[in-house]
Amino acid sequence: MARTPSLARCAAAALAIATLCGPAHAQASDPLATLSPEKKAFLSDPVMLTRFGLTAEKLQVALAGRSAADVDAYATALMAVVEDSKFKAGRDPSEIALNPQARGWNAGTTVRPKMFDKLKRDDGPFSLKRYQFQKGGIPTFADAPVAIRKEDLVAGKVEVAFVGVPLDFSSGWRDAKHAPMALRGMDGLVGADADGGVDPGLILSIADYGDLTPDYMAPDRGLDHIRAMIAEMASVGTIPFIVGGDHTVMFPDVAAMVDTYGAGKVALVQFDAHADADLNDAHMISDTQTLTRLMEQNLLRGSDVTLVGLRGRGADVATQKRLTDSGVRILSTAAVTERGWQAVTNDILSGLKGGPDNIFISFDMSVLDPGDAPASGRPVPGGISMREAIPMVRQLCAQTKVVGFDLLDAAPILDPTYVSRMSANYILHACLSGIAMRKTGMPVKTAKR
Amino acid sequence: MGSGWRNAIDGPRAMRMTGGAAGNDMYSMINPNAALKIVDYGDIAIDQNSTERSVDHVREMVAEIARTGAIPIVIGGDHSLEYPNVAAAADVHGKGNVGVIHFDSHYDIGRGRVHLLDHGQPVYRVINEGHVRASDYIQVGLRARGPDLETFGWMRNKGMKYHTMVEVEKWGWDKVMARALKEARGSTKKLWISFDVDVLDPAFMPGTGTPVPGGLTMREAQPIMRNLCAENDIAGIDIVEVAPYLDTSYKTALNSNFLLNACLAGIAMRKKGLKPGYLNPVSVDHGLDSYYGKKN
Repeated sequence: MARTPSLARCAAAALAIATLCGPAHAQASDPLATLSPEKKAFLSDPVMLTRFGLTAEKLQVALAGRSAADVDAYATALMAVVEDSKFKAGRDPSEIALNPQARGWNAGTTVRPKMFDKLKRDDGPFSLKRYQFQKGGIPTFADAPVAIRKEDLVAGKVEVAFVGVPLDFSSGWRDAKHAPMALRGMDGLVGADADGGVDPGLILSIADYGDLTPDYMAPDRGLDHIRAMIAEMASVGTIPFIVGGDHTVMFPDVAAMVDTYGAGKVALVQFDAHADADLNDAHMISDTQTLTRLMEQNLLRGSDVTLVGLRGRGADVATQKRLTDSGVRILSTAAVTERGWQAVTNDILSGLKGGPDNIFISFDMSVLDPGDAPASGRPVPGGISMREAIPMVRQLCAQTKVVGFDLLDAAPILDPTYVSRMSANYILHACLSGIAMRKTGMPVKTAKR
Repeated sequence: MGSGWRNAIDGPRAMRMTGGAAGNDMYSMINPNAALKIVDYGDIAIDQNSTERSVDHVREMVAEIARTGAIPIVIGGDHSLEYPNVAAAADVHGKGNVGVIHFDSHYDIGRGRVHLLDHGQPVYRVINEGHVRASDYIQVGLRARGPDLETFGWMRNKGMKYHTMVEVEKWGWDKVMARALKEARGSTKKLWISFDVDVLDPAFMPGTGTPVPGGLTMREAQPIMRNLCAENDIAGIDIVEVAPYLDTSYKTALNSNFLLNACLAGIAMRKKGLKPGYLNPVSVDHGLDSYYGKKN
């Protein structure tokens, strides 16, 4: 648009001041030529241009025919935007103030004294069922007995303990906070696995460890408690099955595994449409940067990480390059589509060989197609199906030493039907089934292709 | 079982998992959880293929709760449960010592059907077996197709006190509520509240097996529940016909829990000796002037 009147003006003046039009034409061919080196470098930086939704080509179009002063003002304005959006000491608080006078500062995480167990029950998981063969009743994960203290896990020799972390921040559509209750109240987590050939509820000692308390107003504040509680579960040999909560919860989950098994001793397999590896967010923790924080704090090395199911807007090219350069193995949804779930599962398993033995699986509901799981906080069309996800999860849990599993970002209010909840429980059951197969030595039936 | 629009089986689960049945009741400024000792006694076993085979065990279990002095609050399930519930109350407190106030869009006095008990017949069976005198039986909110003039005649002859939405249309809710409350106070020693959520308008309770338009609002149902529980010696309560899958939202379960909480607040009011109709003076009015005349 700018070019036409400018050219017309130049043509009209051509006879009178032909010499002045020369530089004007030259500027149209490189509008940046007249800028200072600093400003020229700024507008030549592709990363910077991307921030403004620009490319070198779009910039040429925007600046063509502009006067040198206009181009300079343009660069100055963009540089000012960059400066203005930065933190400025004195102007911007670097911390969000809290109220230390709050009467219940730690009320959410204060554990009930044991003497309040008035019946002086023995340590160990306790059933909430009145009838010997009751199904349902007071809802618990996998219809399992309830454990609320570490001593219960020890006394019951609990192998797998479900625990809810109803954290609901997420950069997406909300309601992950209701996932633990919703999954407790849904079928699918009990019974024999026809394909795996085992009934994990029979073979494993399973408990419902209740929910852990996040701070709904500040995820950062609750994470230490969650990390400590999950590490406590793992410290007695229990495999925590954590039901989030948004994907922020992966941070305390994996950190707790590292606290328990040591740095460099834990590998992560993350099923997720997103990499959760963003940089430069104003907040230190959120679902879009969990992986970033885990790697930045040396809780995971790149080579400890396998990303499965990446697709959509889950990570741009630069992010993927940053991750793969650091050793992260990315197996996209496209890979599952092209080569089949079995080949990709084989790749995951061979990638884990030589790395740490202790495997943590983080399963974000977004990895599934919204047809199977519309209730995901960050849904992405074109995902893997339940017919792919179930055998992948089952085989991984059967053929590696899984020390923990989390299922994150199930947001039940987004699905008025039972489908998402049932899918989520079937994923959890697939891993339980794999763990039970590993315990009993039941062989995994692999697909031919 | 009965209606064909199923899912009352998930009523207890939905109410356990939705908020509302806990916390401060602003009308009385009482938190029933703090004022009363409340427990979750789990589910009572049901034969999902036979109402008849289920009710004996329900009756035993409800009686077991009542015999300890605790007030059983039974979350259904469909309305056939009213029969074992009220029978259990009569087993414990004595036949004729329990009256019933029954909220429902349906009269539920079906008789002479192939099955002796379903969600439309509990009232007949309760009265016919003599657990409750018909004159101690109050109904509120009737409006569904069902009772013909002959049936109304039967109810009148028996001395039943019915309050239809026709009466509400003619006199307004406040007058009908006052009349029903007066009748409840004048009833026999103990009162059972049988609350079918379809008494409310489907706008408030879409998740129910036999919805009928033109029902009560939450603002009408909450005060009568609070006052009934504050004014009477409650033998027990049932809240029935919550069928969550028929409601894609949370509101059926949330409203059911708030109705329950209104009643729990009423029970706590009675325990504290507060007079019926009590509203907390602080929450009822900012008190900076005498806008409504003399201060309460």
